[in-house]
Amino acid sequence: MSQLVPGLGLARGMLLTLRRFFEPKATIRYPEEPPEGSPKFRGRLQLLYDEYGTLKCETCFQCAQACPIECIDMGGIDTKNRYHIHWGPPETYGERRDESALRRSGRPVPDPAYEHFGPIDLAPVEAALAEYDYDPKNLLPILEATQQAYGYLPVAAIKHISNMSGAWYAMIYGTASYYGHLRFEKKGDREQAAAVAASRPPESSYRSALQAALMGGAPVEDTTQPPAANKARGSSKVRGSSKVRGSSKVRGSSKGRGRPPRAN
Amino acid sequence: MTVVGRAWNRLSLPGKLFFTLAPLLLVTTIAVIAILVIFGQLIVDFLAANLPIVRFVVAVTAVLLMSVPTAFLIIYMEMKVIALMNLRLGPDRVGPYGSLLSVVHGLKVLMKEDFTPTGVDSIVFTLAPVVVYLASVMSLLVIPFAPGLFGQDLNVGLLYFFAVGGLSVVGLLMAGWSSFNKYSLLGGLRSAAQIISYEIPLTLSVVGVLILAGTMSLNQIVLDQRGSFLDWFAFKQPLGLLIFFIAATAEANRTPFDLTEADSEIVAGFATEYSGMRFGFFFFAEYVNVFIMSALIVSLFFGGWTAPFDWPWPVHIELNPGGLGIGLLILLAVAPVVGTLVLAAPFWVARSSMPAWQALIIGFVLLNLLIGLGLFALAFLGWEWVVGLFWFLGKTYGFVFTFVWMRGTLPRVRIDQLMGFAWKWLLPASLLNLFVTAGAVVVLGR
Repeated sequence: MSQLVPGLGLARGMLLTLRRFFEPKATIRYPEEPPEGSPKFRGRLQLLYDEYGTLKCETCFQCAQACPIECIDMGGIDTKNRYHIHWGPPETYGERRDESALRRSGRPVPDPAYEHFGPIDLAPVEAALAEYDYDPKNLLPILEATQQAYGYLPVAAIKHISNMSGAWYAMIYGTASYYGHLRFEKKGDREQAAAVAASRPPESSYRSALQAALMGGAPVEDTTQPPAANKARGSSKVRGSSKVRGSSKVRGSSKGRGRPPRAN
Repeated sequence: MTVVGRAWNRLSLPGKLFFTLAPLLLVTTIAVIAILVIFGQLIVDFLAANLPIVRFVVAVTAVLLMSVPTAFLIIYMEMKVIALMNLRLGPDRVGPYGSLLSVVHGLKVLMKEDFTPTGVDSIVFTLAPVVVYLASVMSLLVIPFAPGLFGQDLNVGLLYFFAVGGLSVVGLLMAGWSSFNKYSLLGGLRSAAQIISYEIPLTLSVVGVLILAGTMSLNQIVLDQRGSFLDWFAFKQPLGLLIFFIAATAEANRTPFDLTEADSEIVAGFATEYSGMRFGFFFFAEYVNVFIMSALIVSLFFGGWTAPFDWPWPVHIELNPGGLGIGLLILLAVAPVVGTLVLAAPFWVARSSMPAWQALIIGFVLLNLLIGLGLFALAFLGWEWVVGLFWFLGKTYGFVFTFVWMRGTLPRVRIDQLMGFAWKWLLPASLLNLFVTAGAVVVLGR
């Protein structure tokens, strides 16, 4: 058609630009108008692979630099294949694994009371291994003997079995977690459970208090009191804090009054 | 140190400026008044005796002053319109909607180093931009902007226009030759070849209009098209209009014929060695040329400043403020106060949260707006040239928009296509137009 009528192509082009003239524009005035991302965007971190299966990450640390809550911590391989590149000055490596840093970055915070990784007496494990010829084919009997000795399977014991028998830690862990009678923690302490139950007020006191709150009327006095130690601790805490606050207030005000500001 | 010296040292910079300039201003004012009182009659007689010369000087000055804002406006229009057509926002930082960006461009060009390369013919090198710019500005002189608003109503106006407009080729050649650069020379020759080639169909396509109008005075040609829009020469000379439009595009170095300084392909053609304000003159001349070509198209084919329909002007409004006598004085004193209060009242009544002073400010601003609009409407209705100027500028900027629109759309032609089109198509077509028009006038009468 445009070959038949001369100038029709020109006219169509002109009409196209005229239509564009009135269309909404693609430009975003960035600092004034932040671009609208998807509302579900949460910024998940992910390392991407290219089509050859190689990591696309070049360890440039730009993500770690830009991260506002410093949750990205990374090491990488340099051009000579040495794993020694780190983001940030070396003296802060430990600092960035501090509890506060971990908490800020949302990673699991290690519990100092959790003693699974602690060293243990390895003699029973060694005995069990010797009995079964350090052979990973006899993994189940070795693990059962170990559990018999410790009452559960400590991490250090599994690591020792892995070292001595040559089986991978993950394999041993998988075997141990498959069987229901093998466990990684101590059996529950019945005595401790009983003590906790005894220190708690009986259920009837809660019920009467609830009754009083809902229906009105005086709460039924309960004979069992909370332990005295708890009460004392609570009161002392309150007193101590008020004391500190009061003294600091007095000190601050006296300081302010004693030294009038001097004009320079 | 004297008292005066100590007081002088205590002044800040604005204070020093004020106390320097104020006495100077005072002395100058007194001197001017004294000269006017003593020699006033003599000066007025002298100017009245040489009225054509005075008129010419005033017109040239006005046109020269007008050309710079026109160029700024068209540069801004080009940036903004092409950006909008590219789905961009374009300039939006300086001034409202970025409208002062072209002024910033002008200042930038003004502040750059005005560099003269070694080996150039410095006199010709300096004169070339002046020639190009003046050729553009001088041809504005004969364009009728409105009834009574033109530089000179020459009876050979159109001839003058093409003669002076053709001078710009000389400027381009001067620039190319004096630059001591073979690429500049080639660029200059190329643009000269293009402009001279298109000058011929441009001039020939107008001859049809000249035959129909019977005059070369642009003012008279516009007057001949008075009436409704059916009297425009665009409907009597459609082929002439088409040829003129295409040739004008090439003459003003616009896309698709902007080979002289194809900014995406070559450095700058003849302007390669230019920098600073000398380059700025070339740049401005290009945009003034766009305005001139649009104005000429409008004057020749689209009725110039005449309205496209029967416009009820000028309306003679009989106002005789002097007839009120002392009442005028009272009106002048009372009307602003009453007007402000009346206009402020609705805001103060309707919005209880608004304090009285804010309502008064709004009322005052509204009163000023109303008075301004009223005066403007009076001028629009009562003075022929205000309406005429509006129609003329509206049509002209419509064509400027078309040129910019074409630049946003069309690709550039090759140099051989450019030349072939001019000589093989436009020239025969304009000759055909000329002979058909002449035959029709002979057979049918004018």
